[in-house]
Amino acid sequence: MQAIVVDDSRAMRMLMGRLLKDIGFEVAEAGDGSEALDSLRERLAGNPVQLALVDWNMPEMSGIELVEAVRSDPSFAGLRIVMVTTETELSQVSRALDAGADEYLMKPFTRDDVVGKLELLGLPV
Amino acid sequence: MDEVVAEFLVESYENLDRLDRELVDLEQNPSADKLAGIFRTIHTIKGTSGFLGYGKLEAITHVGENLLSRLRDGELALDAEITSGLLALVDGVRRILAAIESDGTEGDADWTALVERLSALNRPAAAPAGTEPVADESDDESDADESGADESEADEPLPFGQMAVQAGKTSPAAVERAVAAQRSGDPRHIGEILVEAGELAPGDVVDTLAAQAEARPSMADNNIRVDVGQLDKLMNLVGELVLARNQILQFTTIQTGGGLVDAGLVSTSQRLNLITTELQAGVMKTRMQPIGNVWSKFPRVVRDLAVTCGKQVRIEMDGRETELDKTIIEAIKDPLTHLVRNAVDHGIENPEARRAAGKPAEGRLLLRAFHESGQVNIEISDDGAGLDVERIKRKAVERGIVSLEHAERMSDREATQLIFVAGFSTAQQVTNVSGRGVGMDVVKTHIEKIGGSVDLQSRLGHGTTLRIKIPLTLAIIPALVVTTGGDRYAIPQVNLLELVRLDGDQARSGIETIQGARVYRLRGNLLPLVYLHEELGVEMASGDDDAINIVVLQADDRQFGLVVEGVSDTEEIVVKPLGHQLKGLSAFAGATIMGDGRVALILDVLGVAQQARVVDEVRDRALVDSLDEGEGSHANRQELLLAEIGDGSRLAIPLRAVDRLEELSTTLIERAGGTPAVQYRDRILPLVSIAKTLGFAGATPVESGDERLLQVVVHSAGDRSIGLVVERILDIVEEVVRIQRPSPKPGVVGSAVIQSRVTEVLDVDAFVRLAEPAFFLETTAA
Repeated sequence: MQAIVVDDSRAMRMLMGRLLKDIGFEVAEAGDGSEALDSLRERLAGNPVQLALVDWNMPEMSGIELVEAVRSDPSFAGLRIVMVTTETELSQVSRALDAGADEYLMKPFTRDDVVGKLELLGLPV
Repeated sequence: MDEVVAEFLVESYENLDRLDRELVDLEQNPSADKLAGIFRTIHTIKGTSGFLGYGKLEAITHVGENLLSRLRDGELALDAEITSGLLALVDGVRRILAAIESDGTEGDADWTALVERLSALNRPAAAPAGTEPVADESDDESDADESGADESEADEPLPFGQMAVQAGKTSPAAVERAVAAQRSGDPRHIGEILVEAGELAPGDVVDTLAAQAEARPSMADNNIRVDVGQLDKLMNLVGELVLARNQILQFTTIQTGGGLVDAGLVSTSQRLNLITTELQAGVMKTRMQPIGNVWSKFPRVVRDLAVTCGKQVRIEMDGRETELDKTIIEAIKDPLTHLVRNAVDHGIENPEARRAAGKPAEGRLLLRAFHESGQVNIEISDDGAGLDVERIKRKAVERGIVSLEHAERMSDREATQLIFVAGFSTAQQVTNVSGRGVGMDVVKTHIEKIGGSVDLQSRLGHGTTLRIKIPLTLAIIPALVVTTGGDRYAIPQVNLLELVRLDGDQARSGIETIQGARVYRLRGNLLPLVYLHEELGVEMASGDDDAINIVVLQADDRQFGLVVEGVSDTEEIVVKPLGHQLKGLSAFAGATIMGDGRVALILDVLGVAQQARVVDEVRDRALVDSLDEGEGSHANRQELLLAEIGDGSRLAIPLRAVDRLEELSTTLIERAGGTPAVQYRDRILPLVSIAKTLGFAGATPVESGDERLLQVVVHSAGDRSIGLVVERILDIVEEVVRIQRPSPKPGVVGSAVIQSRVTEVLDVDAFVRLAEPAFFLETTAA
């Protein structure tokens, strides 16, 4: 199982990466939306990514912009997107879901929180 | 420590350093982009600290985040109070991070006061009615109306709208409408609004976004972090490799000379040579850091100090990316901070004074850095009051640094240099926190210690510029190797101007003795000579070569010739510090290992010059001045240029007033505004005959005609120069001048006996005023 963690903070990428590896994913990282998009495209041919954990607030290309870009490209149909938010952004979660995100996680979250969301999304854990 | 925590600390520190700068910048140039960046930093710290279980950190960043989000959304306007609050937040975060770094806990400090302060700032009452968003703090993407050309934002791309306009894809009016729509609550992006209004093709949105992304400096993620100690070790090893390379090269050369070496070794050693050079450059590059790392602290420093002093100061930076070796960055950090504080504290006036002087209330402090001829130049300029030369002179006299007499004769430029003299100010340390009592001598010493120089230019009422020149690196320097008394010495190439070799007749007659001091006439300038073997107290190796080798060196703005027995070659040398026993010797800056494996000492050019007393050191001379000065006497030891004017009269001109000596052909003379003048260094140099102006007989006519050579003493004040024509230049002497008979003539101080001859002493300023009144007018009006 392939996952990508998209966050501009290295520490956050490490944290989320660990969590996902623990659950059984192979994890790639990206520092912002456009980097994530490049990485996702690269992997399409060989080993497509099934799960993206996307931070909301990033420089360059924000999380929601990434969601919009991914959803406008049918080749990413198999990708599940989980937005990572804080409560300040919670009011805007509906915007992300409208744009095509599948689920959201509110910081700070635990391994169980993540597993719960993945089950909701029908991803094998 | 957990890997994640370590990464969190490093990352947070990096972001906080940027934040300091951005917050201050934001106060001056509100920008939604910057606000979003600041919000993001605090937001990230908060989010991560939640995961890591740092409750205190989460609590204070949480209120900060709330405050920032309201600022970002335009519900609050940023003011000084909020900025101070946010800076306090940054300080708080730093302290907690430091505590985590040291013992893994958040520390015992109580942060409720800060939380309350930040919450108070976030009260709706602070907002201007809360309905109309402030123009400059509109939403993230709505900043199409911003200039974007602002210097501090130079490395950020234009907003989307402007990008699209620039690419000719839509009209400025359409963008303005879209921005207005956004302000009145339209949640869509500028691009969306434009597309839906039919002002922009959907495909162009992608193109514009791509162009925008391209314009952004891409911070490639293929960076790794390396321990500095590791780099230092590498640098040391490269130093050793350079030495070994030099030895092998020398060995190969010797062997080749003896015909003992095969071509394979020669080409291999050449390859080794090239690779070593590249490796050295490469390793040196890894140690380079942008000067922005030091500068990033300044906006905060300037802001805090300005607030304390009740001043308004805007800091601008140019050349933030200019790179310097890490050791040098560290060495200049304190001196630079000091200079910046000085500029705010002493340079820039308070708003009332500025307005009264017809200047904007807000002062401007400009930091510039750029590479130039293998050195880094750093400039710190302010548009403040400038140095008050008269005040400096008075202060210098009060402090006993110069005599009244001396002070009166000083040119403005000399007088401004007084602030670098030890004892001019009372501060003892560069790190002096108060920033009061300059301590510029310490700054200068620090800069010179790393092979740099400081230059100061100031115009009363217009501001001051300090220019620092420093080498790129300290570890490996190009040097000239010379020999004297059978030993080799290395002279850093930065000090080297030229080499002069005198053979045969020239060697016998080229050196003149003036007042016991030996000089050599180099293109019309008298070059004081220093004999290296005398200074070092070594025996001159007897040889049949009677040639004289003069190494022309620059020390402290003065030139002198160092006479050595032999000149070898220039070489890259690795500077090794001297042992304790030798540290006290001012003539040496360090040691190095030469190609043959033997040690050579590196000469400290300034130290040698001071020891030989050829450097016109204000502080030394000043001491002599005050010692010489008896009650009411007019004794004053100074360097004088002696010249013949008219039919054999002698005139002394204080050497400090002499910029250069030139021989100019009369064929070059043109007339400018009725005055004879020549083109000189891209400027017009008016020529004045001293003899004629002072009424001496036998003045050489200063006019074009048949070709003759005029002896011209160039005097400069500010950026203007004037050529004083004398009949013949005689000598340069250092004498105690006792004016025997004050002169009634304007332009002449009086007569004195110099070299047992009656000599008129010129009062340069008064003379120039007399001969060319426009000179000063233009200087002040310029």
